[in-house]
Amino acid sequence: MDWINIIQNTCKALTGVDAAYFALAAIGLNVQFGYTGLLNFGQAAFMACGAYGIGMTSKYFGIGMWWGIPIGMGFVIVLALLVGIPTLRLRADYLAIVTIALAEMVRLIVRSVRFKQYFGGSDGINGFSLHFRELSPFDPGAQYGIKPFQYSGYTVWTLLIGWALVAIFATLVFMLMRSPWGRVIKAIREDEDAVRSLGKSVYSYKMQSLIIGGLIGMFSGVIFALDRGSVQPDNYSRDVTFYILTALVLGGVAKVSGSIVGSMLFWGIFVFSDNFLRELTKDGPLRIFGVTVMQKIQVGAINYMLIGVGLMLLMTFRPQGIFGNRKEMALDAR
Amino acid sequence: MSLDTATLPNGFAMIDSAKSISVINKDDFTTSVKRATFFTGSSNTSSQTLLNRMIQRGADGLRLGLVIAMCAVGLSLIFGTTGLTNFAHGEMVTFGGLVAFLLNVTMGIPLLISAPIVVVLGGLFGLALNVFIFGKLRRRGVGLISQLVVSVGLSIVLRNMYLYQFGGRTKPLNDYSQQTVMRLGPTSITPRDLTTAILSLLVLVAVALFIQKSRTGKAIRAVSDNPTLASSTGIDTQRIIRIVWFAGGALAALGGIFRGLDEQVGFEMGSRLVFLMFAAITLGGLGSAFGALVGGVLVGIFVEMASLVVPSELKNVPALLILIIVLIVRPQGILGRKQRVG
Repeated sequence: MDWINIIQNTCKALTGVDAAYFALAAIGLNVQFGYTGLLNFGQAAFMACGAYGIGMTSKYFGIGMWWGIPIGMGFVIVLALLVGIPTLRLRADYLAIVTIALAEMVRLIVRSVRFKQYFGGSDGINGFSLHFRELSPFDPGAQYGIKPFQYSGYTVWTLLIGWALVAIFATLVFMLMRSPWGRVIKAIREDEDAVRSLGKSVYSYKMQSLIIGGLIGMFSGVIFALDRGSVQPDNYSRDVTFYILTALVLGGVAKVSGSIVGSMLFWGIFVFSDNFLRELTKDGPLRIFGVTVMQKIQVGAINYMLIGVGLMLLMTFRPQGIFGNRKEMALDAR
Repeated sequence: MSLDTATLPNGFAMIDSAKSISVINKDDFTTSVKRATFFTGSSNTSSQTLLNRMIQRGADGLRLGLVIAMCAVGLSLIFGTTGLTNFAHGEMVTFGGLVAFLLNVTMGIPLLISAPIVVVLGGLFGLALNVFIFGKLRRRGVGLISQLVVSVGLSIVLRNMYLYQFGGRTKPLNDYSQQTVMRLGPTSITPRDLTTAILSLLVLVAVALFIQKSRTGKAIRAVSDNPTLASSTGIDTQRIIRIVWFAGGALAALGGIFRGLDEQVGFEMGSRLVFLMFAAITLGGLGSAFGALVGGVLVGIFVEMASLVVPSELKNVPALLILIIVLIVRPQGILGRKQRVG
């Protein structure tokens, strides 16, 4: 068992790019789910908007990569209106049903052969992040940071941008939720009818919240795509939203710090268990009392099972997460 | 390497979405021989008229719709009686398919004998989910939205458990996997598919009669209507809920067997179906058993008909369209009640 390696990887995962893009997506989801009580199960679709935005513009439209961000924002707004207009007047689970369908539809469309010339089919879009890499002030060959938090030059550059965006959006959401707008949003979560009786348009506030959360999620997709240098349709499957939801609930719903710490912990735990199980099965299948319990190819499935169990247990026994306030989990007022 | 499709014999064409170009890289030559595979089949575009194709698609759609309806009845009844939107219902369908595979292929029991066992096991599985998870949550007073998120977690756990046990590839069942197509009026269908379609229809009629006529069925409708009022008239609500979970699990398992016969068995077979089921119960009206029947059939036909217009890889996309249009025009669905909606 190579403990040093496991611990090193776990530490790297705590502050890695994965944690950063999850944190961004979780901050967005938190605006919708935590503060407004909207069950958006299609955050992956909004992330795909950002990723495909920058991928498509640089690869197929021949304009600069950064145009992808406004284009991605356009996609997000169109999708949010598409799912929001029919469902935001209805009970909460309708939005869940429609957004989960939306995420699946978006994935089917971007990986289809029919639209291959725009989205690259199941291979996705590759090799467009050169522009971004050229901007990096760090030496791509060198290692930066102190052990165990050590990353190569290019990753440091992505990390810097990613965590900077996390900081910006976290501050923004923190301030928004202390503004009059945020008070209305939280009041909608607590009691929609009361807000309506005060003359506020609940529908329009919910729509704004859905769009703002989606836009923050879009930046998460941008960071993810820039880090990998490619966009793959299957990276935006509907389960991704649920992993982000798990990270969010783990850290604490309706707390800005919760989405950040939750994402870091999520990846810390995930990478730890992944590395640990891989070490266990490194020299052949793991046997307990002569029964084969785990082979190398089953490690992934077990890891995702653990995420599901974690989500179930958290939701049942500690829905407010680590930092959250139980009073803020008033999702079931209606 | 590319295949010149013009040189194919008459009546043959590329199967939908298969590529006529196969790329072989230098690195792929780990062995001295390299094969390129092109998927061709008998062409159905040249010889058939649009009307014929519409009838064929309609028949396929009806078949799919009956299976969707069968799986969705349970989903709708569970929603009606407990208020839970069960996102793990697709995994209950997969359960049926995989257990059928276990009995039929691994243990070699003929499907006609193993199918009833699978259905009973599916029912017990549904019951177990209620007894060990959702019933406990209700008693703890966990809210409906939290229960919904728990069902999402459950679907992740179950799907990966299936992946762990079964692997990622799809596999066919042993019995009735090789069949010749027979002509039936303007449509062509295999005897297997015809049998499953008739069986699904019979099961659905039986379910409808059960809910409409029997004492228990009446009680189920009463609990769906108003649980508090139902229990005050002496109906044992918890017993009704257990019956509904059992029936839902059994029907989903049967749907899983039929899907497994129609396509193949795989760990994701149910989760692919789940949002068609949601479209069906939304169209029919959340909480209404008859709504789920009507909605399921309509969604199945619509999805298959849509594949005349859109590529077949995208044929599920119009189902999202149904969802959105229904929710704008008539959010309570065809047979739903208005007070459930807002």
